[in-house]
Amino acid sequence: MTKRDINICVNGKWCELAVEPYETLLDILRNRLGLTGTKSGCAKGECGACTVNIDGKAILSCLTLAVQVDGKEILTIEGLPKGAELHPLQESFVKHSAVQCGYCTPGMIMNAKALLNHNSNPSEKEVRKTLSSNLCRCTGYERPVKAILEAARIMRGKDER
Amino acid sequence: MKEGFFRPREYHRPNNLQEATWLLSSFGKRAKLIAGGTDLLVNKPPEVECLIDVASLDLNYIRKDGDGIRIGAATTLDLIERSPMFSAGPYVVLSEAAGNMATPTVRNMATIGGNICNASPAADLSLALMVLDSTVKIYGLGGSRVLPIGAFFEDVNKTALAEDELLVEIHIPMSPGGTGASFLKLRHHQTAIDLAVVNVATRLTCSDDFCEDARIALGAVAKRPIYAEKAKRLLTGKRLDGKLIQEAAEIASKEAKPIDDVRGSARYRRRMIAVLVKRALELSITRCET
Repeated sequence: MTKRDINICVNGKWCELAVEPYETLLDILRNRLGLTGTKSGCAKGECGACTVNIDGKAILSCLTLAVQVDGKEILTIEGLPKGAELHPLQESFVKHSAVQCGYCTPGMIMNAKALLNHNSNPSEKEVRKTLSSNLCRCTGYERPVKAILEAARIMRGKDER
Repeated sequence: MKEGFFRPREYHRPNNLQEATWLLSSFGKRAKLIAGGTDLLVNKPPEVECLIDVASLDLNYIRKDGDGIRIGAATTLDLIERSPMFSAGPYVVLSEAAGNMATPTVRNMATIGGNICNASPAADLSLALMVLDSTVKIYGLGGSRVLPIGAFFEDVNKTALAEDELLVEIHIPMSPGGTGASFLKLRHHQTAIDLAVVNVATRLTCSDDFCEDARIALGAVAKRPIYAEKAKRLLTGKRLDGKLIQEAAEIASKEAKPIDDVRGSARYRRRMIAVLVKRALELSITRCET
């Protein structure tokens, strides 16, 4: 026994893959599905660049085996926009210039997405605590924090309408 | 250690404990349990040929029963951090330890069982469980057995688990009234991901400023997490004041047997144990009153 068949739903699309027991979700997303928006940083759970959502929760894809996510729903940065329309988090990151080198950005946004899934009105402190999972050496976190707070505000407005 | 890459050939997801122990015993040292993966997939041990996933063993729960709280070994740390079970009384010490373990995203994945079974001398949850007098339930081919958490740790990365055994549950007994506890951790750069330079948990049961009972657990200062027994004996039965607490903190720092490593020198660690124990005891006292 080596390869195992798994069924995963990535960005709303189910796919079947044969994977080795040691292949990580990050390997599969980038190398097999061509979804290179999810980044590999430290590959040991310290930087957060590989963060994706699994069943709505922020998870490190570098420390998750592909075999472990059989049957689960995975959302990556590529799954956020609706057609040509960017997600409010993405719009807000652009508006606030919260992106510099950009390497940590997909992980940060996916982490923020998971936060907003269960807390539509986070405090600045809660946003900062969430972002402690994501290492960023450019922005100093000020702009990402502002961008996430504003995106939350915009998303709440949409829900109320 | 075997040279080479992490290349397990087999992956199993047993549906019950018997199946899990049977797999563990038949693969022996070549098998490794996987839960959150936040230690295993960092270390990537090349000798592992078979992965046994605990995901289908129904070990993800926090339950209150007549004599305390039971936590399934595969319960993730984010649930422990946020659980109302650990939001009041001395039990907050467990929420504090969980909430200080690595980053929020790691906590979404890492499990309490993994944190304990990795048996790092710096593991945050071990100390909180020790001051709460927790016991661990172990399941193996011969059935189940229960151990006090203090007896579970044997050496660096070594627990009392036999090859065919796995940790299934942690039990926290009810603490008497007037008990307060706290957890403190010193990190090198004070960023979320850092391991502890030293970490400390304390628990005090007080009545009218008198200390009826005490527990002090120290991390990252020995081959395994340890109780500061002499400091505990000094406090028990005495009237709590600043001088006594300072003295207990100094004694605890002498009980520590730290080493020099990348995170700090032995001398610095010993000094910091005194500081953290003092602060943790003071915090525990303020919590006894509520």
